[in-house]
Amino acid sequence: MKKLHTISTILLLIFAVSVFAGSGKNFVQIKGSDTMVNLGQAWAEKYMELNPTDFISVTGGGSGTGLSALISATCDIAMSSRNIKPKEIELAGKKGIKPFEIKVALDGLAVVVNPKNPVSKLTLGQLADIFTGKTTNWKQLGGQDGKIVILSREVNSGTHVYFKEHVLRKNDPASTAEFAPSALMLSSSQAIADEVAGNPDAIGYYGMGYISSKQKAILVAKDPNSEFIAPKIDNVISGKYPISRPLLLYTNGEPAGLVKKIVDFALSKEGQDIVLKTDFVPVVK
Amino acid sequence: MVSSKKTEKIAFFLLFLATLLIVVPVGLIVVIIIKKGIGAISWQFLSDIPRQGMRAGGILPAIVGTIYLVLGALIFALPIGLLAAIYLSEYAKDNYLTRIIKLAIVNLAGVPSVVYGLFGLAIFVVFFKFGTSILSGSLTLGIMILPVIITTSREALESVPYSFREASLSLGASKWQTIRHIVLPNAIPGILTGAILGIGRAAGETAPILFTVAAFYLPQMPKSIFDQAMALPYHLYVISTQVPNVDEKIRYGTALVLLFLVLFMNLIAIIIRYQFRKQKKW
Repeated sequence: MKKLHTISTILLLIFAVSVFAGSGKNFVQIKGSDTMVNLGQAWAEKYMELNPTDFISVTGGGSGTGLSALISATCDIAMSSRNIKPKEIELAGKKGIKPFEIKVALDGLAVVVNPKNPVSKLTLGQLADIFTGKTTNWKQLGGQDGKIVILSREVNSGTHVYFKEHVLRKNDPASTAEFAPSALMLSSSQAIADEVAGNPDAIGYYGMGYISSKQKAILVAKDPNSEFIAPKIDNVISGKYPISRPLLLYTNGEPAGLVKKIVDFALSKEGQDIVLKTDFVPVVK
Repeated sequence: MVSSKKTEKIAFFLLFLATLLIVVPVGLIVVIIIKKGIGAISWQFLSDIPRQGMRAGGILPAIVGTIYLVLGALIFALPIGLLAAIYLSEYAKDNYLTRIIKLAIVNLAGVPSVVYGLFGLAIFVVFFKFGTSILSGSLTLGIMILPVIITTSREALESVPYSFREASLSLGASKWQTIRHIVLPNAIPGILTGAILGIGRAAGETAPILFTVAAFYLPQMPKSIFDQAMALPYHLYVISTQVPNVDEKIRYGTALVLLFLVLFMNLIAIIIRYQFRKQKKW
């Protein structure tokens, strides 16, 4: 019995020390969008390198999780890849929280083909038909005779989900459109870029940061009557390019203190360089 | 006509095959994880914070977080579980209430772990306002391992021969004195078995900590039980599904560390149990 006493005393002591060590309030919790969680992590890592006394925790869970955590005051900054809903603003108001929106980055997706491919512009409808497997030959789109090779990111990629929801399903939550079974699922944007560079019949999509001279970015139009727009940073910022969305941070009221420092860092040159590195489009040049 | 000897041999062979089938997956899991993960193990991996978008550096915060969570769960569940087991095996009469309690414990053991996670979120995080914290996570894990600890402790207490109690009582000891000095010391190895099983489950579960404590990235040692923390199982999930382009080595390395952490904690409990068993005189 004596041994057990000693052991349990030691365990209790370890725990007690950790309890009473106390936590400083130089600590900020960021929570939300799984699309942005790697961006938030990269910001936090760099920020803490520059300010070793401040601490940031980053948690995923989805935009909705982040916003509800902000509303229940269990996080300081919510990451969201969608705008806050009126219902959420109302809920926040009841709890004395005033969500304050900061646009920190844009998420623009480029559709790319091999430079040898004569097809250079497509509508969202045509893209949906290609990626769901309805259109199977480049000839149908005015190109050369060749079976279309569909390249996609794998299922657990946010880019995959975003492309599916906004292009294949045309923003319709009731739609059940899926990628064609013949689509090749690649594990990184770089892998898609390499494959497109080497295969004249391939088509793929990824964040605009990966476009190079070895691929040709398709001009995209909302419908046959609209203008065909190139996936360029300017067009994403102006909102003309149809496959893009803003990435947002929400704070309670205007940012102040440490929260302000972190938001300012995200919008700084360094923070926006990180945006570019994590495949998103910077909002500040 | 097959002789009974032959039938016996065939039966033994089948039973042996079934047993072998249990060993094979365990062996394969350990071998594959060691083979693929050993390359990632270095002093830096064990002692550094994650770096470069968690694709490099170490996993120390997750290791520390998991140790805290397991200790917290044990500190909460072991005393309560033991006291409940003592009551159930020594004091409770076999009546309707006792049967309901026993049924509740069995059912508690069958609740899926994600349900514990949601329960912890509703009760500890939101209702008691502990927030996403080590406290909430430990309590949630504690409730999850409570039935294991109660069941094994009860079995341990009940396996102490009844003659021991009779001898003690006949010498004039009270019921509590008998439990305290005769029954409990003899039951400790069995109780520790329950604790071992509890440790293994608490360290490995992802779902209960998902909503109650786990942070995607928090490269800081927890300072209080009201802090969030990283934890190995959740970290493994994150680097396998949410962070793109993580080296396979790092993923398997993390799995290897989790595996060995659990084995190590089990080893400590097994050594303690062994020490107690040596003193056993029956």
